[in-house]
Amino acid sequence: MSDDSKQPACLVEGFWSQAVGEGGPRLLGSRCTSCGEVYFPPKPKGWCVHCQQYTLETVPLSAAGKLAAVTVVRQAPAGGFYHGPVPYAYGMVDLPEGVRLISQIASGNLDDIEVGGPVELVIRPLYTDQEGREVTTFMFQSKA
Amino acid sequence: MKNPQEMRDVYIAGIGLTKWGFYEDQACYDFGSEAIFAALKDAEMSWREVNAAFCGSVYQGTGSGHQAVKEVGLTGVPVVNVENACSSGGSALRLAYLMVASEVYDVVVALGMEKMPRGPIPSTAFRPWELASGFNIQVGNYALETVEYMEKTGVTEEDLARVTVKNRKNGALNPNARFQKPVTMEEVLGSRMVAEPLRLLHCCPLADGSAAAVLCSRDKLRSKARGVKVAASVLVSGVYGDGMLPSGMVDSLLHKPEVGMAELSARQAYEISGYGPEDINIVQGYDTTVPSELWGMEKLGFCRPGEAAGLLKDGKFDLDGDLPVNTDGGLMSRGHPLGATGLGQICELVTQLRGEAGKRQVKKARVGLSHAMGAGPNSSVTILTY
Repeated sequence: MSDDSKQPACLVEGFWSQAVGEGGPRLLGSRCTSCGEVYFPPKPKGWCVHCQQYTLETVPLSAAGKLAAVTVVRQAPAGGFYHGPVPYAYGMVDLPEGVRLISQIASGNLDDIEVGGPVELVIRPLYTDQEGREVTTFMFQSKA
Repeated sequence: MKNPQEMRDVYIAGIGLTKWGFYEDQACYDFGSEAIFAALKDAEMSWREVNAAFCGSVYQGTGSGHQAVKEVGLTGVPVVNVENACSSGGSALRLAYLMVASEVYDVVVALGMEKMPRGPIPSTAFRPWELASGFNIQVGNYALETVEYMEKTGVTEEDLARVTVKNRKNGALNPNARFQKPVTMEEVLGSRMVAEPLRLLHCCPLADGSAAAVLCSRDKLRSKARGVKVAASVLVSGVYGDGMLPSGMVDSLLHKPEVGMAELSARQAYEISGYGPEDINIVQGYDTTVPSELWGMEKLGFCRPGEAAGLLKDGKFDLDGDLPVNTDGGLMSRGHPLGATGLGQICELVTQLRGEAGKRQVKKARVGLSHAMGAGPNSSVTILTY
């Protein structure tokens, strides 16, 4: 096994930009230049499903948002596709651009996450793959 | 587009279903064909009179409906499989209805059948990154919608539990239900947490099973007195901006639709049938998790947003209430064989409307409505009248 194989792997490519300078990581979305609708994840085809035109451009999204709802999933999802920890906190996050997204919620204490509270983007390992690499993904965590 | 009101009347001539439960030793096709035999018998018809069959299922693989029909008769008639998640049965019924209404065929069978995978249900329609992220957890998705609903309406955990208690009480009177034992509030609120605020007894159990209906024109009815008229059969598959987390769809915050998916399906069904919510005497609602029965009643127009829990508490939705809901125990008692559920609801409505429901018979059932939602997303609404 080469050293490269121990480098962390992204769970999915193209959904966020890595930390640049002091800005930290940002999710990437698509914004419609016509109707203003915002989508996450970004839509590579550039087609706005809302106003039915090829009018989308890729934009960085705010790293801070509001936790619209949260639950703690205490049973593993079916099908063997999910390799992260169980239980896990799972929520809906609203970003100020006007887009809602689904995300795991990173927390040291699953019983202490407040609905309606401010949250911020973090890139965290979700699981370790068969080659021993950490697989990272986007999550939101409560702002201190 | 043709207006369904200008097409000919369609009747359900017969229904058949198998007991909801686990069929470890049978293939889905075996109990699926059982439901067809039972529906033909109920309609006093033979397979030779059937012009086509639409077969709803989700997990049964390629050509599963053909495998069921093969056990009944191969007369060269078309068999079409319908996979439409939790609305598969309702969608099969709708296609059968449209074929008879439009005079393409005179007699059509609608079948729904399922042998469920065990454990939490997988959907293969999520993208790989969503599956790997743990987003394909339907209880979790309903839980998030429930958190939002409770915040908006003030509905409590006790209100949710009350739906389970009502439905399991009804299920105790249904010899075909998987669970025929009532549960108490304490048992519901003490059951294992699956995804806050949803506990095990807020979530419908699994079951295998099948249900079928024979649809025909009025002149083909053997017994005019037993025919139940299909007043409307509607399917709406998604409205932009109306979120449905079990389908991986979030609400649009900037462009909320004027009318949501479930509301639109109800509105269309009322327009086509000429009935309004005030005319409906009995409802088979969609209690895949119990809060969805409550918000379903609101979206179908039976009360305003946030009012369903209070009406339930006052007994309105009980068997002897003004508007009985899930008279056979719903998904909470029956279980949820995905492809069969929509037609299971139809079988209960027909049984009630014909006055054949025995101990769980409701009074004055003349117009009934069934509602199935779920992944896709879909919302299917059927209105039957007798």
